[in-house]
Amino acid sequence: MSAYFQFEEYHRPQDLDQAVDILSKFGNSARVIAGGTDILPRRPGVKKIDTINHLVDISKLGLDYLKKEGDHIFMGAGTTINIIGAAPIFLSGPYGALSDAASAHSTSTIRNRATVGGNLCNASPCADLALPLLVLDVILMAAGPEGKRDIPIESFFKGVNYTALNNEEVLVEIRIPLCSEKTGTSFLKLRRHQTAIDMAVVNVATSLTCKENRCETAGIALGSVAPVPFRAKKAESMLAGAKLSKGIIEKAAATAAGEARPIDDVRSTSAYRRKMVAVLVRRSLENSMRRCGQ
Amino acid sequence: MKKIDIKIHVNGDWYELAVNPWDRLVDVLRDQLDLTGTKEGCGEGECGACTINLDGKAVLSCLILAVQVDGCTILTIEGLQRGPELHPLQKAFVSESAIQCGYCTPGMIMAANALIYNESEPNEDTIRKNLSNNLCRCTGYDRPVKAVLKAAKDMKGNSNA
Repeated sequence: MSAYFQFEEYHRPQDLDQAVDILSKFGNSARVIAGGTDILPRRPGVKKIDTINHLVDISKLGLDYLKKEGDHIFMGAGTTINIIGAAPIFLSGPYGALSDAASAHSTSTIRNRATVGGNLCNASPCADLALPLLVLDVILMAAGPEGKRDIPIESFFKGVNYTALNNEEVLVEIRIPLCSEKTGTSFLKLRRHQTAIDMAVVNVATSLTCKENRCETAGIALGSVAPVPFRAKKAESMLAGAKLSKGIIEKAAATAAGEARPIDDVRSTSAYRRKMVAVLVRRSLENSMRRCGQ
Repeated sequence: MKKIDIKIHVNGDWYELAVNPWDRLVDVLRDQLDLTGTKEGCGEGECGACTINLDGKAVLSCLILAVQVDGCTILTIEGLQRGPELHPLQKAFVSESAIQCGYCTPGMIMAANALIYNESEPNEDTIRKNLSNNLCRCTGYDRPVKAVLKAAKDMKGNSNA
């Protein structure tokens, strides 16, 4: 018998309503499972999982889709990370950061199972996919007992492993607004072993919308340097409306480093993390600039 | 505790099994089907020793609940060889001396099998990236990379997963 995570009951709802019903019935003792790559490695004795007795499997509810319609790209929460990494729509131009992040996330064997919804709902401070989705200003759609509701991604992350979702809610869809062709985005991740599975020491995503070297809007999202992934608003406002130069990019990167609130842990010191935020933001902004208008 | 009935297609045969809700695929393969070629290393998705092919993709059997693969097609190292001869990947791992202690080998070969199945003739860079999912602490990676390159050439797209 496995010495790993055990629970009482596995539920396979036939549709979303059923999934919400089961979650409502069991409250805090139930969790959603899709790819399972976050929930299964957890060890017994960890307080967070000792209360989980019911797993509700949403992996067969048709939540794996990717389609462009009207002003948005609609991405099912159950879309696996490898599908996102290989999707032609994200390979170039305004959505490049999403493709970069999907390819940098863990290993391909995990990415074949892990889903974008799981990466968001696990709400790790270093969640790779959260960063490009933050700079793309996506809207998350959750299904609950009262129907569906939209949550802007900026108000989704509440703390480490803690989101705006209620116990009985399921994240079902990520809505990406179509970007202007003049937008370029990029994602960078620093880890101790660049090829192997490792969580980020620092990860960042940036977006720039430029017209003739003048920045119209800028987005900078920082990961692994606060309890939640977040937007560095002060740094962004320095770039908006400015003529892009090496100097202003470096200033914005330094400001972003000032907005970080990193901690010391097994992967890095707080001081190193803060320095690396400046380096990664600068490089990522340069990448974004190159990708503007591609 | 209530067991759950599942039906899975493993190495060419259908099996009807009753599993605990928390049984991982690696437990069921090893303990119920006696397919002990699939190894458990870390049990938390870091080492790749338990890599198998699930519906043509390389996945980690320690991070999948058996109940979740009801109706799916699974290929393990035991199902790779068709007929009397070793599979080209197995042959190449032997001829290139890409094995030392052998614990990571089944996972590495199954990762390579899915890669060749999905990309036909992957280049060295792609192979290195893919094998970085599988930790080897004795032979290293040069020989396995050579072996996969050789096997991919020998197979010329004639693969299954």
